[in-house]
Amino acid sequence: MNTIEKLAERARELAEREAAGKPAQAPEPTVPPPAAAPPEPRTPAAPPVTAAIAPLIEVDDIAKVFDVSAPWLNRVIERKPRQLLYAVDGVSFSIARGETLALVGESGCGKSTVARMLVGLYRPTRGTVRIDGHDLARLSGKSGQALRRRIQMIFQDPYASLNPRWQVSEIIAEPIRVHRLLARPTDITRRVGELLQHVGLTPADAARFPHQFSGGQRQRISIARALASQPEFLVCDEPTSALDVSVQAQVLNLMRDLQRAAGLTYLFISHNLAVVHHVADRVGVMYLGRIVELAPKTTLFANPQHPYTRMLLDAIPDTAMTGRARTPVGGEVPNPLNPPTGCTFHPRCPLADARCRRETPRLLPTANGAQAACHAVEEGRA
Amino acid sequence: MTDALLEVRKLRVEFPTRHGALLALDDISFTIAPGEVLGVVGESGAGKSLTGAAIIGLLEPPGRIADGEIRLLGRRIDTLPPAEMRRVRGREIGAIFQDPLTSLNPLYTVGRQLVETIQTHLPMTASQARARAVELLKATGIPAAETRIDHFPHQFSGGMRQRVVIALALAADPRLIVADEPTTALDVSIQAQIITLLKTLCQENGTAIMLVTHDMGVIAETADRVAVMYAGRIVEIGPVADVIHQPRHPYTIGLMGSIPSISEDRERLEQIDGAMPRLNAIPPGCAFNPRCPRVMPVCRERRPELMDAGSSQAACWLHDPDVAGARP
Repeated sequence: MNTIEKLAERARELAEREAAGKPAQAPEPTVPPPAAAPPEPRTPAAPPVTAAIAPLIEVDDIAKVFDVSAPWLNRVIERKPRQLLYAVDGVSFSIARGETLALVGESGCGKSTVARMLVGLYRPTRGTVRIDGHDLARLSGKSGQALRRRIQMIFQDPYASLNPRWQVSEIIAEPIRVHRLLARPTDITRRVGELLQHVGLTPADAARFPHQFSGGQRQRISIARALASQPEFLVCDEPTSALDVSVQAQVLNLMRDLQRAAGLTYLFISHNLAVVHHVADRVGVMYLGRIVELAPKTTLFANPQHPYTRMLLDAIPDTAMTGRARTPVGGEVPNPLNPPTGCTFHPRCPLADARCRRETPRLLPTANGAQAACHAVEEGRA
Repeated sequence: MTDALLEVRKLRVEFPTRHGALLALDDISFTIAPGEVLGVVGESGAGKSLTGAAIIGLLEPPGRIADGEIRLLGRRIDTLPPAEMRRVRGREIGAIFQDPLTSLNPLYTVGRQLVETIQTHLPMTASQARARAVELLKATGIPAAETRIDHFPHQFSGGMRQRVVIALALAADPRLIVADEPTTALDVSIQAQIITLLKTLCQENGTAIMLVTHDMGVIAETADRVAVMYAGRIVEIGPVADVIHQPRHPYTIGLMGSIPSISEDRERLEQIDGAMPRLNAIPPGCAFNPRCPRVMPVCRERRPELMDAGSSQAACWLHDPDVAGARP
């Protein structure tokens, strides 16, 4: 039984449950996880930072440098130096099969750049991305396409990521055609119908155009398109940021059902810590192109180590906190063109000392099984 | 209520179209007391921004107020001629919008924009106005205000720009500030700074705020009372803690359940199936009835008015003692 048949079965179950008048509320997944996925992908007790079973995704010291210099003639005339923007600078992590790793951070921290490097939309300036042991950059031609079939991406804005001139059927069928998964047009049509059902739409929607759908429905179409090539790994770049909360809940629930049913592995990019808390198994916190803390979700939220993580957690408005008096942290993310020396967080950090201004901290294991890039944490000053 | 700062009664806003008028807001009634923060929440298209726009007199034509009245300190402001409304706006009601870049003029320094606003509303000389502008910038937490005042909006970061916009809104000491998604375009750490700032400034000056946002977390921390909107109507209004922790309307209950929170672990979020109806297809009776898990026959026939439900008010038949068998 392949993944898709399992998905179909799962969708049928959901449909039956709904037809029986029961709202699809908190259903325990009844489909056993596929053999490829580890049996308990959500146990936080599993070895935290490095996954024990061979991870699906291994990212080793990747960096992306953008050249944002003025044009050559201006540089010569105005004697301006070259300007390089280190959008991502030395990021390493791995993701086990069936796991969800979330990257959080404020705008400009490089989380979307990491996402784009993982799907091959950007070529890393340095470092390697391995998927199931294959180097993403080395592969080209047939083997590269075969590997890319296994990775798909869901983008933030469902209004911009669907071609407005294409029918939904063409949008969803494109990955099937490109990867030559099915040949006969009738098969493709049937498959598109199935995929639409998996994401909670109807096969009849295939004939419509994106503008005829609401934001949440469009995001479902994006998910159906991403699933069309039967991927193992989905990179989700702020998939619910453009949606209203009730629609966001629908999409997050759908993504979780799909993960359970098909053993998908997610890299989830978001700036919303509450959403991350809901979806992630492990969380990486990014600041100015680096991961400053990487920890299992429960550890990170219960016992944040890095001062930046603490600040972020302190800053989220939460419905449980009516009337709370907050202590806002001052300062803003510095200009990435001219980042501070040493630890880039030191101008805003309450624990900064001379070493922090001088020396860039490395991501080191901490006492509670997390990893943090902070001199204060390392020295026990935190 | 006579001591209300702002009183909105039976407000109705419609957009005439070729196929008849679209009712965008219907039967909106609420009051804001001096110094109070009223949160207005709802999903996109619920009419929350439109309510704000109607109050500050900035409805985009062809939208128009079809019925009802808006009173500021007892004086009707919805019928004022445009020139007079311009004086009210800025002097008595300040406005803060979502995107700080589009609410500042990129061609003028922030100082010039502040001085212009101050002089329009207050009898001050240019140098007095400039001194006040520096003071306002300092109060909103802009470092080196004396030099920053001569900078252009593009020289400020997003958070700093929003501070300038707040300074502009506060320029003439208004009684009420209508803030439409003031922190939505900002990062969380900056959002926290701006919310705290807005709250302290308004507490110091006794300014009331109507805070329009889709972010329940922001409301929870900032507002005293909250109004929940759905399909152009207020479905629930009450003290913020009650609405969040003991929501009475099934829509509010669903909305609260769908918000992920860092303080609890849930396997699944509650979801309200379906989507909010379009304005041209609002179902008869209660607009929420097709999505409501507790729908009753009466919900499909008659529209519920706001009625008392605990310490809040909810527009739901479940809270009508006369509806048979209905005990919430």
